[in-house]
Amino acid sequence: MTMTIEQEIEVLDQFPIGMRVLAVDDDQTCLRILQTLLHRCQYHVTTTNQAQTALEMLRENKNKFDLVISDVDMPDMDGFKLLELVGLEMDLPVIMLSAHSDPKYVMKGVKHGACDYLLKPVRIEELKNIWQHVVRKSKLKKNKSSVSNGTGNSDKANNNRKRKEQYEEEEEEERGNENDDPTAQKKPRVLWTHELHNKFLAAVDHLGVEKAVPKKILDLMNVDKLTRENVASHLQKFRVALKKVSDEANQQANRVAIDSHLMQMTSHKGVGGFYHHRAIPVGSGQFHGGATMMRHYPSNRNLGRVNSLAGGMFQPVSSSFPRNHNDGGNILQGLPLPPLEELQINKAYQSFNSQQNSLMVAPNNLLLLEGHPQSSSPSLNQGFSPHFEINNNKRLEHWSNTVLSTNMPQRNVHSKPDTLEWTTFCDSASPLVNPNLDTSSTSFCRNTDFGSSNAAQTDFFHPLQMNQQHASNWGPMTEAQLFRNCDSKEGLHMASDAGSLDDIVNSLMTQEQSPTDFSEGGWVMV
Amino acid sequence: MNTIVVAQLQRQFQDYMVSLYQQGYLDNQFTELRKLQDEGSPDFVAEVVSLFFDDCAKLINDMSISLERPDHVDFKQVDSGVHQLKGSSSSVGARRVKNVCIAFKECCDVQNREGCLRCLQQVDYEYKMLKTKLQDLFNLEQQILQAGGTIPQVDIN
Repeated sequence: MTMTIEQEIEVLDQFPIGMRVLAVDDDQTCLRILQTLLHRCQYHVTTTNQAQTALEMLRENKNKFDLVISDVDMPDMDGFKLLELVGLEMDLPVIMLSAHSDPKYVMKGVKHGACDYLLKPVRIEELKNIWQHVVRKSKLKKNKSSVSNGTGNSDKANNNRKRKEQYEEEEEEERGNENDDPTAQKKPRVLWTHELHNKFLAAVDHLGVEKAVPKKILDLMNVDKLTRENVASHLQKFRVALKKVSDEANQQANRVAIDSHLMQMTSHKGVGGFYHHRAIPVGSGQFHGGATMMRHYPSNRNLGRVNSLAGGMFQPVSSSFPRNHNDGGNILQGLPLPPLEELQINKAYQSFNSQQNSLMVAPNNLLLLEGHPQSSSPSLNQGFSPHFEINNNKRLEHWSNTVLSTNMPQRNVHSKPDTLEWTTFCDSASPLVNPNLDTSSTSFCRNTDFGSSNAAQTDFFHPLQMNQQHASNWGPMTEAQLFRNCDSKEGLHMASDAGSLDDIVNSLMTQEQSPTDFSEGGWVMV
Repeated sequence: MNTIVVAQLQRQFQDYMVSLYQQGYLDNQFTELRKLQDEGSPDFVAEVVSLFFDDCAKLINDMSISLERPDHVDFKQVDSGVHQLKGSSSSVGARRVKNVCIAFKECCDVQNREGCLRCLQQVDYEYKMLKTKLQDLFNLEQQILQAGGTIPQVDIN
């Protein structure tokens, strides 16, 4: 595809307007709604209610589409299968759509390569951000080819996609050097592409998760230029992510009733008010508690081997601190600031546990743990105390908005700082997804489909009030009964969990050297 | 245009709409759908709910067949039907229907045929009820338009 520079810029200027989406759902009602929502986002939409047809369309010309959104449960083909095929054959970003909030499905989606997992009913805010996946994916491709070439390349297709990144706009002249990160003084990163990750997964599967050691995985994977260290750090992240998913599934069962009750009771107070109120007391001035919690985190979790690995991973990177683990250092070196905020969030998380759905927090927590080795080291924490205070309120507020956005189906809460931080953390070479991100949530799994909590979200429509109001209006099933069902089943908030999982996996796939460009906090790793 | 008539109709429309939310027939998702309706797609909501009711009828019919014989219930099919119904009802904002689906799913999970039948009956009742209510709502809309007025924005909060 040859385009003049002017044409390329035009495409860039317009993007994501006109992004070409293929929407697949056998439910005609949902498909119609999805189509309209996507049109509203100013995307170009093609729809089909058959997975097979979708596949054919894609095979016919994969360059016809930028992104695929597909429902998971379809009669003619398993949505996951479609996802896999599209990923493998066309390497297009695929977003899963489902009414299933079960983490099993989310995990499955992740494993099959989904870029995102949205819960029905889908909200327009969620769709407004999906274009990021296209950018992310194209960056991945660019880097993938750079890894295989060993150096930067000037592949035309890659250049075209890069145009979409504002960051790269200034470097138009340097097409040949694009893949050389201007700040790269570190050794080349391994980009965990979809393919690479699949090989990794296959190796881990073969060995068994418990027995999968980096050396053996490396051997099985048989990939040129991949080192044991690369595999080891990837393995750590993978385990942490897995653990988190299963932990959250367990925690859910314990916390559902409390959480959904809390949600309902406080929802009408409004988003910011409630969460902010909760967040602040937890966060402020409890730094040491936080440090303690951080330390306790691994043991609480009973991570076993993962723990030791994780512990190793969390060893600080810089030379002035003791290090168990060698390679993670590269990945962690260029860490941007968010660690402080993340740590803050983690503090809040522990306190929140008892009150709120901890699922939401977990992702942040994990993100924190993954990305910020110092956090688990008490001595380091001491030093960070002042920084925490500084960023405390701001981040907590941010974070509490995030909590809200994923826990409660509040449509107006958009900020998702953890995604922000995370993608910045691993991918800050593309500020496109960082500073300019508007606050719409892009978490992996949207949980908007909650019986009572959906009701809870409209101020007018208070579920508890509802209970009394029209108990008499209900038919054979009592309102209370239905609500009970709603509470117990639908109070689960996997969204946040999924959201972070996506972030984690994305980060696994898009490991990039990234200089920190955070001005806040002033926390610097030597 | 008889402004008094229009005003009356508009008031009626508003009150009716609010009551539907109050009684739990509709939820926020329906509001979102209404927002998507504009000059470009003036009948969007009517179109979508019509598709939805068609879906309901079909799914309920299929499920009743699966549940018919006590000794031979295809719970898998029922589960799939409930799942789809839940997805579409939540997408249009059909709150009561969706809630029944949630209970329905539970009966299905434990393979409780009796429970499933009750839920099936309930969901049938609810979607038909909603259909009637929405029909009334759309009729009011038509009356307003025919009287020369505009459909008021209804603030549910």
